[in-house]
Amino acid sequence: MAGGAVKHDYHLVDPSPWPFVASLSAFILAIGAVTFMKGLVTDEASWAYFFLGKGHPWLMILGFLGIGYVMVGWWGDVIKESLKGDHTPVVDLGLRYGMILFIVSEIMFFVAWFWMFFEGALFGHDRAGHRWNTEMYELGDWATQGFTAGIHTFDPFHLPLINTLILLLSGTTVTWAHHAIQHGDRKGTKIGLLLTVILGFLFTCMQAYEYSHAQFGISGSLYGASFFMATGFHGAHVIIGTVFLLVCLLRVLAGQMTPQKHFGLEAAAWYWHFVDVVWLFLFAFVYVVFQGAVSGGH
Amino acid sequence: MSSEAAAHHDDHTPSYWSWKRWVYSTNHKDIGTMYLVFAILAGIIGGAMSGLIRWELAEPGLQVFNNGFWGNSHNYNVITAMHGLIMIFFMVMPAMIGGFGNWFVPLMIGAPDMAFPRMNNISFWLLPFSFSLLLLSMFVPGVGGDNGFGGGWVMYPPLSTSGHNGPAFDLVILSLHIAGVSSILGAINFITTIFNMRAPGMTLHKMPLFAWATLVTAFLLLLSVPVLAGALTMLLTDRNFGTTFFDPAGGGDPIMFQHLFWFFGHPEVYILILPGFGIISHIVSTFSRKPVFGYLGMAYAMVAIGFIGFIVWAHHMYTVGMNVNLKAYFVAATMIIAVPTGIKIFSWIATMWGGSISFRTPMIWAIGFIFLFTVGGVTGVMLANAGVDQAFHDTYYVVAHFHYVLSLGAVFSIFAGFYYWYEKIFGVKYNEMLANIQFFFFFVGANLIFFPQHFLGMAGMPRRYVDYSDGYAFWNMVSSIGYVVMLVGMFFFLLVLVESILLRNTPKRRPEANPWGESATTLEWTLSSPPPFHQFNELPKIK
Amino acid sequence: MRFQAALIAFIASILFASGASATVRGIATDKQVSLQEAATPVMEAITSFHSMVLWIITIITLVVLALLLWVIVRYNAKANPNPSKFSHNTLVEIIWTAVPVLILVVIAVPSFRLLYLEDVLPTEQNEAGETVSAVDMTIKVTGNQWNWTYAYPDQGGFEFISSMVAAEDIGPGQHRNLSADLPMVVPAGQTVRLEVTASDVIHNWAMPAFGIKMDAIPGRLNETWFYVEQEGVYFGQCSELCGRDHSFMPIELHVVPQDVFDRWIAAAQNDPYTAPEVLTAYYQTQGETQLAALR
Ligand code: HEA
Ligand code: HEA
Ligand code: CUA
Ligand SMILES: [Cu+2]
Repeated sequence: MAGGAVKHDYHLVDPSPWPFVASLSAFILAIGAVTFMKGLVTDEASWAYFFLGKGHPWLMILGFLGIGYVMVGWWGDVIKESLKGDHTPVVDLGLRYGMILFIVSEIMFFVAWFWMFFEGALFGHDRAGHRWNTEMYELGDWATQGFTAGIHTFDPFHLPLINTLILLLSGTTVTWAHHAIQHGDRKGTKIGLLLTVILGFLFTCMQAYEYSHAQFGISGSLYGASFFMATGFHGAHVIIGTVFLLVCLLRVLAGQMTPQKHFGLEAAAWYWHFVDVVWLFLFAFVYVVFQGAVSGGH
Repeated sequence: MSSEAAAHHDDHTPSYWSWKRWVYSTNHKDIGTMYLVFAILAGIIGGAMSGLIRWELAEPGLQVFNNGFWGNSHNYNVITAMHGLIMIFFMVMPAMIGGFGNWFVPLMIGAPDMAFPRMNNISFWLLPFSFSLLLLSMFVPGVGGDNGFGGGWVMYPPLSTSGHNGPAFDLVILSLHIAGVSSILGAINFITTIFNMRAPGMTLHKMPLFAWATLVTAFLLLLSVPVLAGALTMLLTDRNFGTTFFDPAGGGDPIMFQHLFWFFGHPEVYILILPGFGIISHIVSTFSRKPVFGYLGMAYAMVAIGFIGFIVWAHHMYTVGMNVNLKAYFVAATMIIAVPTGIKIFSWIATMWGGSISFRTPMIWAIGFIFLFTVGGVTGVMLANAGVDQAFHDTYYVVAHFHYVLSLGAVFSIFAGFYYWYEKIFGVKYNEMLANIQFFFFFVGANLIFFPQHFLGMAGMPRRYVDYSDGYAFWNMVSSIGYVVMLVGMFFFLLVLVESILLRNTPKRRPEANPWGESATTLEWTLSSPPPFHQFNELPKIK
Repeated sequence: MRFQAALIAFIASILFASGASATVRGIATDKQVSLQEAATPVMEAITSFHSMVLWIITIITLVVLALLLWVIVRYNAKANPNPSKFSHNTLVEIIWTAVPVLILVVIAVPSFRLLYLEDVLPTEQNEAGETVSAVDMTIKVTGNQWNWTYAYPDQGGFEFISSMVAAEDIGPGQHRNLSADLPMVVPAGQTVRLEVTASDVIHNWAMPAFGIKMDAIPGRLNETWFYVEQEGVYFGQCSELCGRDHSFMPIELHVVPQDVFDRWIAAAQNDPYTAPEVLTAYYQTQGETQLAALR
């Protein structure tokens, strides 16, 4: 195989600083997070206390900035390479595989939260089908601290329902944008994307509003913990997806997407649908099926 | 287009001494090499920790962790937990998947590189940082005045939540999060590479078994590691943000962590061994001068093992008070794995059958693997029976079982692969005599360490004990002596490395493209040793 | 089996050496290569099941070893310079798939029987012919960092904490890392139900000679049972990593005749911390004085 011109369509990427910088940032972020939560230096007189004292967020912020910087730089490079023509059809197919597999891993991440949720909801009073459980109630006082006992959950058919409709609507607008770009309708693409971003943002705002009116907290009950962590991670994914779509919108405005080549937009759409489906499960189970005493308010 | 864009790649190979070549790398072979070096370092650190363990356990009473330099019994627990985590996450996985997988999956399927070369590099570089976090955790407060996390590699709450209030375990959690990200990205990369970049004519059913093994492994990673990430996140929030996932006082359940952990943990043990299965298939076929027996059966046996691996997790939890019918299910499901695994063992032997076997170093390790893995596998079948596991759970019988499949299984397959591809990777021949001496000491030493542990387990010695009652003295002493024997082997391993570096320019050590002859049929042997910086500029055609 | 005979001889020699202590039965002996001697029907069942599976897996391993040795001898490059090229043989493939399945079925049947024996509380027929629980008494065990709380709900609900005897306090007839200051006491020939839980982290109440190993989990109440006829002292150890002194929270259990047990109960209801004197007195009448070191 010695020498010779490259006669294949794969993309041999140039050496890049981003992976290392990203890893370093992740390291700093991790140290910073532990510092923030627990503190790594307790001696207030020490010079390191500023960076490593409990509650000090500086390293964490530095880590986040590093990662943000890498994201811009790395994906910026990807866009440049795409414009340069490195993304041949076979590379494009690889990107598709990659995105699908990434979404699969995300699904498995949510499986963990749903598993936790269902276990608490279904077996909270009868742990793991344990046949001698009746006496357990004395111990943890499960009857009063059970899954939704004593918790005023949200009325699913107020805000949550509206949010569901918002997300479903946004699913259609993103599909509109996708079809529009396939047919060379740039205006439709822009409007579709813009609407999706707005709807996504709206969803986040509503969710924040809902959180601030919750009559239960993240601590003290398994329902509260599952509710906030599951919907919280979903919310984080909504935000990521919104930013992803926003970047696509900017790229459309910059004329970087064509009817033939617009995988970025397609990937964003897939991601958005994934986020959508997760919500439907959250809505169906966390809000509707296993609701406890419904709180009067919103 | 891309041919011009990439044309400047192939002419020059950067110097070994350019730091950018490694830090900025987008080359699967360089990244593979970094993984291998990393794995060797981690193996030495993890091996040294097991040395502390064996030293402590050589006699009854406290030898090492006696409130002196090495600390107290808590520090013993820290060392065991770190030993387990390091060996699994930072030695075996990087060596097999990161090292051999990166090097040989693209070569074997006739691809010029991995699908996502830049992402490949982040999979690697996350590891040294993640490893640093883990090591750092040993030096910050864990519980009370004691440093480090001493809750086992399985990290069960409440010991890992309310039982360890210091920052040490938070560092461990984030370390594993980062290692997990590395694994998931790696898995995506391998699956995409194998699905999308096989050379023309290389159908899945013609693909070499090591690539098959990596494919199955990558799927296991993709589906299991995110669940671990979820469980770890729950630990993190339970510790820091007041959630009560695993706290009964808030309606949570400590056992739920065990379900989530083992849903990851059991597939994980097959992640550790499947690439080894792949390596062994190639070696056995090469040195028997015969094609692999039952190729398709071999491939689909691995698929079956991977699949069943997802539905047996609770065999690690037989004593938590699970419903008896549930236990019965897990007994049955677990034992079934013996069937596809048996297919593999017997197919390897059938590959040798009628062959013309030459006992070169890799083949010796491979034969050692087949036998010792069988020993570890059948004790697994013993443990699979919940009834008798009630006697063996959390005793040294379990320790013996999993070291036979790991330290004598996975590690033997790593060394087999290491010597099989040594010349290809490093471009120099190794000293066969030294390598064979290493095998001898490893074989004798490792058996001496771990076989007596079955007896300890039968007599009831619990695991994770810094000090045992006097009735367990004899076999523990034997086990510790075995460690010293193996240490001699380790010394010879390092000698092999040093010797081949020193003599690399002598004619006897000049590498050949294919030192093993025509029965080494996979594509890597069609390339020079080491292969050009970018191979397959023109894709090979498979008939 | 030969191992067992050797084991019994070994135990006997230990007892002989240590004079007249209470008969220690549940303990590991040095160089032992077998399970501890069974004291309960469950452990007897475990032992015989284990022997059966051990035979099977030993034979499987030896078969694999024999095949390997055979190919090494017969098909090495010298003995067989020209390799054949076959890579398929449907018949042997079917055999090595089907035979393991059959072996596993052979293992599974007694395995399930054993499992249900362990997990289902025994029952008996009363005079009216109804099936009723055979449980005679219940003891509640709570694991703590790093000792055990034993409670006797059926006998007035007294409870006491049992901790390890430190190495420097080990008296004659006691065993380092195994002896506890206050033993758990049960009557011989009774079916005892154990309730197992924990107060802080997960522990595990394990008694090898009984074939019992049960996780003690905060927030859960696990249940198991045993029936011992042989009087004697049995030792067990915490078997789930629970922190720094995981190795140092052993279980010492005395099985005594019903009348001694009743006396112990009477004393313990008064003050569990002096009740072991009853046991000491009893052992003295038996010429077994060593347990005076109990307190
Ligand atoms: C490489 C890693 C690896 C591998 C491959 C295996 C393989 C198997 N393991 Fe093991 N296991 C571990 C790593 C591994 N294990 C670890 C690390 C732990 C402890 C974790 C911890 O607690 O810290 C553990 C613990 C463990 C337990 C829990 C014990 C306990 O804690 O109480 C059990 C119980 O079922 C078990 C079973 C099995 C079985 C049935 C197999 C099977 O896959 C084995 C199949 C192979 C064979 C059977 C041999 C070849 C087959 C034949 C020759 C055919 C004929 C055979 C028959 C018919 C029997 N393992
Ligand atoms: C892959 C996994 C692996 C490996 C290889 C080993 C190797 C060894 N282990 Fe360990 N061990 C575990 C995984 C492993 N272990 C786990 C998971 C636990 C449970 C932890 C827990 O309780 O939570 C454990 C626990 C454990 C215990 C029980 C501690 C206790 O319960 O109190 C003991 C005691 O003897 C022990 C000893 C040893 C010894 C002497 C070795 C020796 O074999 C070590 C010698 C060193 C090597 C064999 C490594 C050589 C390899 C390289 C140098 C890399 C080469 C790389 C390339 C060529 C690329 N280990
Ligand atoms: Cu209590 Cu271990
Ligand atoms: Cu397992």
